[in-house]
Amino acid sequence: MVTKTEETQLNRLESQVDNGGGGAWEYLCLVRKLKVRRSDKVLKHGLSILNDSKKRSSLGPEEWTLYEQVAIAAMDCHSLDVAKDCVNVLQKKFPESKRVGRLEAMLLEAKGSWGQAEKAYSSLLEDNPFDQVVHKRRVALAKAQGNLSGAIEWLNKYLETFMADHDAWRELAEIYVSLQMYKQAAFCYEELILSQPTVPLYHLSYADVLYTLGGLENLMTAKKYYSSTIELTGGKNTRALFGICLCTSAIAQLSKGRNKEDKDSPDLQSLATAALEKEYKQRASGKLSVLTSAFKSLKVSS
Amino acid sequence: MAEDLVLDTAIRDWVLIPLTVVMILIGILRYFVSKLMRSQQNPDAKVVKEGQVVVRARNLRAGANFIPAKSFRARRAYFSNEENGLLHVPKGQGQNPQAQMFSDPNMAMDMMKKNLSMIIPQTLTFAWVNFFFSGFVAAKIPFPLTQRFRSMLQNGIDLSTVDVSYVSSRSWYFLNLFGLRGLFSLILGEENAMDDTQRMMQMSGFGMDPTKNLSAEKDGLDIIQHEWALPKFEQRAEAVLKKLVS
Repeated sequence: MVTKTEETQLNRLESQVDNGGGGAWEYLCLVRKLKVRRSDKVLKHGLSILNDSKKRSSLGPEEWTLYEQVAIAAMDCHSLDVAKDCVNVLQKKFPESKRVGRLEAMLLEAKGSWGQAEKAYSSLLEDNPFDQVVHKRRVALAKAQGNLSGAIEWLNKYLETFMADHDAWRELAEIYVSLQMYKQAAFCYEELILSQPTVPLYHLSYADVLYTLGGLENLMTAKKYYSSTIELTGGKNTRALFGICLCTSAIAQLSKGRNKEDKDSPDLQSLATAALEKEYKQRASGKLSVLTSAFKSLKVSS
Repeated sequence: MAEDLVLDTAIRDWVLIPLTVVMILIGILRYFVSKLMRSQQNPDAKVVKEGQVVVRARNLRAGANFIPAKSFRARRAYFSNEENGLLHVPKGQGQNPQAQMFSDPNMAMDMMKKNLSMIIPQTLTFAWVNFFFSGFVAAKIPFPLTQRFRSMLQNGIDLSTVDVSYVSSRSWYFLNLFGLRGLFSLILGEENAMDDTQRMMQMSGFGMDPTKNLSAEKDGLDIIQHEWALPKFEQRAEAVLKKLVS
């Protein structure tokens, strides 16, 4: 996670470097530390250091780290020639290294030779089955080929061992949603909520999935998670507010004719619509009529 | 003794200084040798997985109230059922760590390498000091000390009449052996392999049983009561929205 102060520091350094104020190396170090993706800048400033032999040698052993960083950035920007040069330099310096082997495999992947890259990753994993980066690359490889079920398979294999990696769970959840496998996606989101119970986005996505699944019980639960999102975001999340309205109307439709045993909090829905109306008045008053007609079609009144 | 002993300057030049220099050089050499011999050990698959299982089970315990009861029960069964739950350790499989240590030749090998790199140079230098410099009074410390320090400073000289502030060569060796650690961490960087005390700690840490962690986590999971926190959130959301609207 990148905190606010770190981000401002990064942006300040970036503008300084962009305007020729120096500090390129510090900027690159910070990018590496925060693991942010600013490949174009990294490529530009990293190359300017690498092409200047005096600056490069003053880095000492960090030089090779920079080569690696620039190589990955270059692959991201599809400057394959640059990436290849960097990898070749590293290859000359560390002929046996697994880390360089990983870069080579990534280069193959960037070129689009999927089969070779796949083979390279597999052999890397045979040597060290606990290389998380290679596992993830393999998932990305399958995903890049459009082979989503393959990606799911790899991810599941990875999660069997590294089951505390919530980023992987998140990726898996998103893939499941895109394949409309909502039950599995719901499980993944539950896992995410467990690992970070205070992140409202997970509550929101979980509620979305539950709402999509449908059924009275799921709808009730979805409504609860929408409310928790509202609580965690302080009512600023428009999607959660709409979610409350949708859930209430769907629940009302489903439970029509049945005895309403738990007629819980009609307030919540009217409050949500009121909050939405206020929000629209402030930010997009032109769309207010659309909103009211939408409410009318949902048969909810404010 | 009334008069002070006068130490020959040749002793300083040929005993005190060489001894110190040799000790430092050997320390540095040992660092590089142990660095060479250190084999990169791959973590054991089971250990990695168990660590991750424990983390996930802990998450489940901490966040249990944030997921619906049905999901929680399913997960708890997954973790702690008696047949193939992830946290369930079959009886008798809790391996004796001692036995495990000896059954794994790599681990024994690693420890032997570490010990060898420590013991061999120490015996050699000790023999060298004993052979060439035994019985020398190598230095004098500039302040008086009580009799209790005699065994520390005058190892190898069995004279009770010599003043305690004189240091014998063998004691000087020992002082160097234990006292140069600070210097090494200056020369070789913080994480040098010289730190003997730390190594001792590691060795005693071997007695830990990883399966205990699992069963402790399982007990923790078994006893928690699931109380879904979400219904409360509806009221809290209402409160938030009321504040927002008004």
